[in-house]
Amino acid sequence: MINTILIVDDSTISRKIVKKCLPKDREFNLFEAGDGLAGLEKFKEIKPDLVFLDLTMPVMDGVQALKEIIKVDKDAVVVVQTADVQRKTISNVMDAGAFTLLRKPLSPEAVAEVLRLIEGTGHKKG
Amino acid sequence: MIFEQVFNMINVGLVILDEDLFVCHWNRWMELHSGIQAENIIGSPIFKFFPNLDNPKFLRNCKSVFKFGNFSFFSQKLHHYLFPFKPDSTFGSEFNHMQQSCTMGPLRDESNVISNIYLAVQDVTEIAAYERKLVEKNMQDGLTGVYNRRFLDTKIQEEFSRHKSYHRPFSLIMCDIDLFKNVNDTYGHQCGDVVIKQIATKIESMLRKTDFLARYGGEEFCCLLPEANLEAACNLAERLRQAIEEEEVNFDGQTLKITVSFGVAYMHDGVENAETLLQMADEALYVAKKSGRNRVAAA
Amino acid sequence: MSVAAEQTLSADEQDILQELMNIAFGRASADLAEVIDTYVVLNVPEVRTLKVDDLPEFISTEISEHDIISIVEQSYLGKFKGVALLIFPSGAGRELLNLFGDSNEDYGEDVSMASLEKESLMEVANILIGACVGKVVELLDDEVSFSPPRIIIEDHPRNAIPCEIFEPDSLATVMRTVFQFSERNISGYFFLINSNESFQWLKKALNLFMEQYE
Repeated sequence: MINTILIVDDSTISRKIVKKCLPKDREFNLFEAGDGLAGLEKFKEIKPDLVFLDLTMPVMDGVQALKEIIKVDKDAVVVVQTADVQRKTISNVMDAGAFTLLRKPLSPEAVAEVLRLIEGTGHKKG
Repeated sequence: MIFEQVFNMINVGLVILDEDLFVCHWNRWMELHSGIQAENIIGSPIFKFFPNLDNPKFLRNCKSVFKFGNFSFFSQKLHHYLFPFKPDSTFGSEFNHMQQSCTMGPLRDESNVISNIYLAVQDVTEIAAYERKLVEKNMQDGLTGVYNRRFLDTKIQEEFSRHKSYHRPFSLIMCDIDLFKNVNDTYGHQCGDVVIKQIATKIESMLRKTDFLARYGGEEFCCLLPEANLEAACNLAERLRQAIEEEEVNFDGQTLKITVSFGVAYMHDGVENAETLLQMADEALYVAKKSGRNRVAAA
Repeated sequence: MSVAAEQTLSADEQDILQELMNIAFGRASADLAEVIDTYVVLNVPEVRTLKVDDLPEFISTEISEHDIISIVEQSYLGKFKGVALLIFPSGAGRELLNLFGDSNEDYGEDVSMASLEKESLMEVANILIGACVGKVVELLDDEVSFSPPRIIIEDHPRNAIPCEIFEPDSLATVMRTVFQFSERNISGYFFLINSNESFQWLKKALNLFMEQYE
């Protein structure tokens, strides 16, 4: 079961949207970071069950952060969210080890579906 | 009901296409100008009747309108027309086809999804004809009908940049009617005008189609000779000089003999800009004048 | 001079607009790749509110590294209303013509190279502006019409920025980004200047957008 979630996005609004899209009937331990580097540090510290990761961020962008996170833990579950849904971007992100890619703005339905997928595949750590 | 009437009464061509660019609607204006009845074209791909539209630009703009809901504009200036129709009025006699300005835009269904695009076709032949006349007038000298100075200056600039990129040769001949003030003083300005016109006609008749002749000042003309080196330009100037020397101008029962002096300049790598070249031709002309008129001097 | 609160965006609203612009430009970029068959990189737009009088200075500072530029201007008209400016450095027209030059198309003798280049600038600008503005208004639940694009200037940037298009003293929401055609050496600046008239609507629409997450 997913318990700890890290949301990495430079936009507070965008982080707020992610939080609002999580199922209301469940409790999560939520953590946030405002750029890729801060996200990576937070990841090492809390070892979350799931990461929501934006692509365009200052300091360290999403693709770089994703690669670093996978280096730390190859089984990390990272859901990339982006507005840029070009095929090239999708394949870049999937090659770097993302679990999946969600199109911005998120919807509660899309998030619920992803949670089901993650928990259903037994794709979890340890 | 009323909307359908507007669709058919309006003096604009209206076509509605679906996502595969099949014709869904074809208004009466389109019927009248194309000779194709709505019932014959509706349900067919537009390209079946107008294969000229099957080009990357048209397709790109259709895609864009479907994707973004923006408008696309096909200007008369570049495209002249999308639909090859005959000109409607006598005004368009100089055009083979009706000149059109076309707009393309999105149409949405009940759920706000872009399901169709429309094409509006406007006949702008009359405007295009006026514009063409204005453009011509704008580059012509009123008295002689040869080009004016403004036009020649732009042409020289163009030739100059062409030379910079491709190193193609070109030359200028500056021509000035000798002792023109005497003509005006003795026979009057009307006579002066006749002289200027006749000299212009004579020079023009001896140039190649690719050369440009402009009236550069009162009694001054300038020839721009693309692809001509100094020798060719001097030879031409000499032939012009002789021809004019032999020419007679008749005015009011009197016969005048006119001569012209010529200054030739050739574009080569040392010439910094177009103005310098003009100045060189002017200086050569000054030398021709100084050394007795009715002769050719080269820079 | 202080500006009344109803004429400015709150920090939250600014943030929503920024995020909306990210989404809109991201989508535009993806769809553009399909429409024009070229990967266009649209950088994350920067949103700010400026007085109209300060616009020319702001824009010319932004583009000061270029000597000669072409500006394509196109206005959009809906509840979202304003002017889009696409600024290309000189030479971009030729590059675009090579990129989209529908070489087998015959334009006739009276069409010069210069006007072909101008037309390519305008066509690309029309599609780029249509894509971005289209996506923004789609997210805000509006529809807009567009005027035909026109090239307003080909000159030095300093004296090239039009501000007579807006009432003096009024505020404009400026969204600025840089775009690049990845396979070609073409890049430029993109400004959306939203008029004061549509400001109240924009504020409301931004809050409505957030409400769906409350």
